[in-house]
Amino acid sequence: MDFSLIAQQLINAVSLGSLYGLIAIGYTMVYGILRLINFAHGDVMMMGCFFAFYGIMIFSMPWWLSFPVAIVLTAFLGILIDRGAYRPVRNAPRISALITAIGVSFFLENLGLVVFGGRPKGFPRPELFAGIYTFGDIRFLGLSIWVPLIALVLLAGILFLVYRTRVGRAMRCISYDMETTRLMGVDVNRIIAITFAAGSAAAAAGGILWAMKYPQINPLMGIIPGLKAFVAAVLGGIGNVVGAMLGGLLLGMAEILLVAIRPDLSGYRDAIAFGILILILLFRPTGLMGEKLPE
Amino acid sequence: MDEHRRRNQIFSIIAVACLFLFLLSMHFYADDYQIRILNNIALFIILAVSYNLINGVTGQFSLEPNAFVAIGAYTSALLTLTPAEKQMAFIIEPIIWPLSVIHVPFFVSLIAAGVVTAFFGFLMGFPVFRVRGDYLAIVTLGFGEVVRVVANNTQTITNGPLGLKGLANYTNIWWSWGIAAFTVFYIARLVRSSYGMAMKAVKYDEAAAESIGINAFKHKMLAFTTSAFFEGIGGGLLAHLITTISPTLFTFFLTFNLLIMIVAGGLGSITGSVIAAVVITWGGEALRVVEEPINLGFVTIPGIPGMRMVLFSLILVLVMIFARQGLMGTREFNWNGLFRKIRAWTHRTAKES
Amino acid sequence: MEFFTVRNLTMKFGGLVAVNDFDITLKKGEIVGLIGPNGAGKTTVFNMIAGYYAPTSGTIHFQGKLLNGKKANEITRSGVARTFQNIRLFTELTVVENVMIAYHCRLRSSFLGAALRLPLYRREEKQMYEGAMEFLREVELEDLSREQAGSLPYGMQRRLEIARALATGPQLLLLDEPAAGMNPNETQDLLHLILRLREKYRLTVFLIEHDMKFVMQLCERIQVLDYGTTIASGTPEEIQQNERVIEAYLGEG
Repeated sequence: MDFSLIAQQLINAVSLGSLYGLIAIGYTMVYGILRLINFAHGDVMMMGCFFAFYGIMIFSMPWWLSFPVAIVLTAFLGILIDRGAYRPVRNAPRISALITAIGVSFFLENLGLVVFGGRPKGFPRPELFAGIYTFGDIRFLGLSIWVPLIALVLLAGILFLVYRTRVGRAMRCISYDMETTRLMGVDVNRIIAITFAAGSAAAAAGGILWAMKYPQINPLMGIIPGLKAFVAAVLGGIGNVVGAMLGGLLLGMAEILLVAIRPDLSGYRDAIAFGILILILLFRPTGLMGEKLPE
Repeated sequence: MDEHRRRNQIFSIIAVACLFLFLLSMHFYADDYQIRILNNIALFIILAVSYNLINGVTGQFSLEPNAFVAIGAYTSALLTLTPAEKQMAFIIEPIIWPLSVIHVPFFVSLIAAGVVTAFFGFLMGFPVFRVRGDYLAIVTLGFGEVVRVVANNTQTITNGPLGLKGLANYTNIWWSWGIAAFTVFYIARLVRSSYGMAMKAVKYDEAAAESIGINAFKHKMLAFTTSAFFEGIGGGLLAHLITTISPTLFTFFLTFNLLIMIVAGGLGSITGSVIAAVVITWGGEALRVVEEPINLGFVTIPGIPGMRMVLFSLILVLVMIFARQGLMGTREFNWNGLFRKIRAWTHRTAKES
Repeated sequence: MEFFTVRNLTMKFGGLVAVNDFDITLKKGEIVGLIGPNGAGKTTVFNMIAGYYAPTSGTIHFQGKLLNGKKANEITRSGVARTFQNIRLFTELTVVENVMIAYHCRLRSSFLGAALRLPLYRREEKQMYEGAMEFLREVELEDLSREQAGSLPYGMQRRLEIARALATGPQLLLLDEPAAGMNPNETQDLLHLILRLREKYRLTVFLIEHDMKFVMQLCERIQVLDYGTTIASGTPEEIQQNERVIEAYLGEG
């Protein structure tokens, strides 16, 4: 096994893992304050991709406008979903919220099928990201470097939000005790909406990067990455933002490693995440960095 | 305990006889399309009622059906295909022994499907029931993914992406409705028994259930393996109804459909699941209208393919927000209740006249 | 062989020591009280005995068997039943169903036997019902057997919870604040009920309470907990005059 091969796979792993991490952040933030697995999160990521896609295709925006606009729109979508579907069942038994989340997920997927059509569409890859660089024997897409960089920047932004702002402090308070936080005068609904917005924006960013890396988008594209990102969030410790990114990186590495070492088992790639989930839940349910036990 | 037991039993027998006569008339007079719908309805009754056992009665929110239906379908199919057929179908890699030589009658394959699936349910139960709520859902959902991936990759057992074609069309309304009737009967009996009450206790308050000596894990396992058993049988029926199975068939869509049914019918209510299975399967057919162009004479509204599922998911969300209890809540149909209502109604109309 | 002994029972949550070195011995047939200011760790002791928490260290022996480490349902089936501080009935089930479920752990019919309603099961089902009604008669709730448990007034719900615990056939009954929220009349009735039940079913009773009058009247021995540590133990008279006990309660003002 020579150095360039390892380096190549490492770059792939980090880039894939960062994508998982970005999506996982949304899961972990929402679970942290609401104890709800937002089943629709993967589909929110999908919508982000399509917003960006149509921004370029139909509204003829340049990519550097379409992408941020799509991210903002997706943030609003997240807020809308919370307001319209999750808020009414906030005080209902947990199962109700879960079922509602599944319903929203399905709704987005099928709406996507109806409105966007089921046939995969090619996602544009702007020049900046499309360049191929060589470094000795290693060849990689410019994108593969951009992805972890952007992910890092976004992670830093989210961490700043959560740990250095009043809004973030409110988020952390809510995750410990929603009632008390409410009694202390905090507008809990607003904070929850902001959480959804931030998580959805991160997912949209992750989705757009994903769409540039694997340039075929379709309405069902969010399902598998969503599931894997959730596993990443659990692996890192649900409720912990850094853990989500860490979990994502680990998952990315596990996947790439498997395919590299045993190419004949590459068909089982999607099942790795699940295997990891079972192992975590059996042996270390709090995840690597979490303090909360999944209830 | 129940003073009307004799009367109720007689009425139940009469009801079953009516069902039999109905099926008989359908057997002679219904066309293929109607027969297909009837089979579908029966199939979904089996699946919904068994899914309700783990989800609604025992309160463990699992998303397992598509995994178990798949396991049951493949088991049953691999057992009813003749060795010659298997040799023909497995063109990329031959099927492993002893599957290559096994060939059993349909009924045996169904039982096997149930048992094998129940066994997987048993194995799965150990990691699954270590967690609650959302996590249980994701783990069971993930298991469905694993089953799909495994089915797609184990060429020597499942024939991989090619799937299994040319299965004999054994499933007819007698098989499907006969098994549906048995499923409803068995599970209803179970739920009304002491074990059913223990499962409900686990749902309502697990700590309190433990405090009165109920082993929550054991009862969750009982419910889960029973659900798996019947879902496996349902899978076998499904395989021999549509005669072709492949890994892409058993998607989350199936679980989602069942979820809507048991929620809309009332989580925990067997009656509710049956009614919802009938209405939604039938209604789903009827709703195909939305996907075809509607010709109103002066204008034609173009059909929108896929609109059905959009509507269904919207319905699910709306039910959760506005009518969480579903149709029946946790109530069940029973003869006493029916007669009480009839008496009250006749009493009222008598008074008015 | 001692009936029930607890030695060096300790519960630590992270850095917080909730219960420190708790010792107690119960003789068969006794009624013993556990009192102390709020947050002293009394319910934590119960939770450890009943199997809801695994003690950080210490041992619990019941009739010679080691109890700690076992699951809650196993402990109940060994003969130790409990009630909860905040009444945990199955509110959506009927009164009689709540008690009948408590018989389930003693069922000998198998899963299949129950579903197919074999003769053994039918007999057992009848026994469950009749046994449940018997316990309801004990707590004077038999007329309300078909009412929804959640619709009962508070005092009756408490009695129902006791009936339910009894139906598991315990020898040791742990009652967590059974008199909470009751008026003086109800409290007196409860007192007589516990004495009667102790007599009839040969129970040993270990209870947590805040109602001092109730505790002093009912209990033969009392142990006092403060900040997780036992500060006094003895007869009601001794406890009433104990300096440290008085201080612990007054200090809480």
